[in-house]
Amino acid sequence: MKKHNFEPKIVAFVCTWCTYAGADLAGTSRMQYPSNVRVVKFPCTGRIDPVFILKAFQKGADGVLVSGCHPGDCHYMAGNFHARRRFAAFRKLLEFVGVDLSRLQFSWVSAAEGGKWVEVVTELTERVRAMGPMLEFKELEIEECWSGKIDTPELQEAYEAIP
Amino acid sequence: MNDTAEKENLIPLFDTSYYAAVTEAIRTEATRLLADGSVTLVIGYQAGKRKGTAMPAIITDPARANDLIFSPACVNNLALYLTKAKKDIRKTGKVAIVAKGCDMRALAGLMGESQLKREDVHIIAVACAGVKGSGAATGEPLTTANIAKKCRECTVREPEGADLVAGSLPSLPELSPVEAEELERLEAMTPQERWSFWKEHFSRCVRCLACRSICPFCYCEQCMCDRNRPQAIETTPRPAGNMAWHIVRAMHLSGRCASCAECERACPMDIPLNLLNRKMAKELKELYGHEAGLEPKEKGPLAEYKEDDDQSFIK
Repeated sequence: MKKHNFEPKIVAFVCTWCTYAGADLAGTSRMQYPSNVRVVKFPCTGRIDPVFILKAFQKGADGVLVSGCHPGDCHYMAGNFHARRRFAAFRKLLEFVGVDLSRLQFSWVSAAEGGKWVEVVTELTERVRAMGPMLEFKELEIEECWSGKIDTPELQEAYEAIP
Repeated sequence: MNDTAEKENLIPLFDTSYYAAVTEAIRTEATRLLADGSVTLVIGYQAGKRKGTAMPAIITDPARANDLIFSPACVNNLALYLTKAKKDIRKTGKVAIVAKGCDMRALAGLMGESQLKREDVHIIAVACAGVKGSGAATGEPLTTANIAKKCRECTVREPEGADLVAGSLPSLPELSPVEAEELERLEAMTPQERWSFWKEHFSRCVRCLACRSICPFCYCEQCMCDRNRPQAIETTPRPAGNMAWHIVRAMHLSGRCASCAECERACPMDIPLNLLNRKMAKELKELYGHEAGLEPKEKGPLAEYKEDDDQSFIK
């Protein structure tokens, strides 16, 4: 039997006005891009909460892409400007906690940029494929807090120290 | 602090008559304010039941104003009592509050977020030499060994913009910035090392949510972390949910945190939470030049934007 090769799971959080339309254009123009990407549509990048990214990693994503309108093109005037600041801060936090930032990609893809969408998705997929699966959050998900060891020397010592 | 000699650790940092002077100034002001009716209550500290401890006090009777004290055990950030979560205190009218420099930053933050109006509070600031850190025995004076980490690199010992500053600052020795050094050590690590550092700390978390309850900025009436449809964060104290909770907590406080380090003090499991807060403060200063200060700002760094913000990380 042939062993399965690693296929990365990529979750893309996209805005409905630009990147979703851009991805649609790539599809209707019959451009090829990796089928590893799962697109989740939002009204605006401003609606994409950092928690969504965490959740994606926890539930098994190996890479996350956040994509929306170019600055100045936002359907709601300033959603992507707010998102830009939020994600600039959030990626620094993730980095500090110990997440490899090459698994997280942000991009601006307009409705006319089918080609750029293909390029962004292909690049991220290949990068994550080379890095292998994202294990940190998945391991946490299956781990239990208590090691099960209750007779450690430290605990014994602490118990004896109780007057 | 290992480099400090054992003997030196037991010497008080400065003359303790400083506390008597601060206490006296607070009492005089509180008596005056309550007697002439300009405030309905004073939020301050009173002596705790055990000797050498202190606890928050809310005084409404001028005759009881002499219960108020200031000592190195006055660690609490009283700004907490002025948030939405404590509605019955705010209802009473104009109130006076005893605030250290770090507490005043929290007050300024709350004013910036329209949670508080400057004219509704009378701020009795304390020229604060520092308070005791965790693990300090109740009886001992403030020393270089037991001073709180946040006080070692305090920049607001003599806060400006208060209605009264109680006491005058004694001269203090130079203290090494323990927390900044720890932050630097972590930043120099590889991502894997940092992950295991935080994983180990967060695995101890029991999700008592003391860090949330004590935070003056966690005043949301419904925390997103309590919602379960959809559930953003697992509520049981398991590793996955713990990691997510601490990341979300740090994210929601970034650009707002006043660095009073109350979360870290309240944590029963000694998780170095203020390191996360400090890291975010540092990044937001580098990115957008924002710093938590004593001046209320109308908008925090993550609530506003500029068209030319850095976007080098976006493809």
